[in-house]
Amino acid sequence: MPGEALLALLQKTGFQGLRLAGYTGMKSSPYTEGALVLGKKPGISLSRETAGPVPEPPVAGPEPVPQSKPGSS
Amino acid sequence: MTTDLNEQEKSLIREKIREKYAQAAVTPAGSFQYPTGVRGIRQLGYPEEWWQDFPGALLESFCGVGNPFSLGPVNPGEMVLDLGCGAGFDTCVAARLVSPTGQVVGVDVTPEMVHRAWELSAPLPFRHLSFMVASAENLPFPEQFFDVVISNGVFNLVVEKNQAAAEIFRVLKPGGRLYLADMVLVAPLPPERQSLIDNWYQ
Repeated sequence: MPGEALLALLQKTGFQGLRLAGYTGMKSSPYTEGALVLGKKPGISLSRETAGPVPEPPVAGPEPVPQSKPGSS
Repeated sequence: MTTDLNEQEKSLIREKIREKYAQAAVTPAGSFQYPTGVRGIRQLGYPEEWWQDFPGALLESFCGVGNPFSLGPVNPGEMVLDLGCGAGFDTCVAARLVSPTGQVVGVDVTPEMVHRAWELSAPLPFRHLSFMVASAENLPFPEQFFDVVISNGVFNLVVEKNQAAAEIFRVLKPGGRLYLADMVLVAPLPPERQSLIDNWYQ
């Protein structure tokens, strides 16, 4: 897939600020090369007029991550 | 992207990719046409202080096509997903960067790679790091779970790319970042290669 097509796919998904930042010089064939692509999921934006008070940050730590160790069932 | 592959062809591609990377879990040497291991790490500009204390076998397992951390910061306390983590080099770098309070999860479709990642990362002092077998097309995480998704040389191997992109988007928090290093076409494939399924895994 060409870099431009990858950017288009990600844009269609909803990513913003997409940029093909460059190529890495790593070539797996005469036709393919490593590339660096940056994207961002849109954030919640509230205007100054509609935004409410800023909530306090949560006290609890991050949610537990599902884990799967080798040998576990 | 809509693929024109039938289900049998998709299964064959997935099987061949798993076979290739199960072998690469033992050693990437000879499996790739670009520098791997420490040579690749240095060539891609990973700062040495990020990896100098990593086990030699973890360094030698590196077969990334770029340095996703060159695209932006990964900050202490953040939640990071390494999509297609392989033997876990980038996952361990991320674990170092989010320390001490963040969490990093590496996922890979190849069970041998996930086993290898657990094994190679065990000597490191990262207790906020985990690995699991999972497909980019069906991520076992809730919505808005991660601050950053990194991936290195994997997205081109995913058969259902639209679905994988949607999954990445789903698990990222609003404002979350995607740092993607991947193989892309930089020249047209010759006509005799354009329809070859072998292109996926060679």
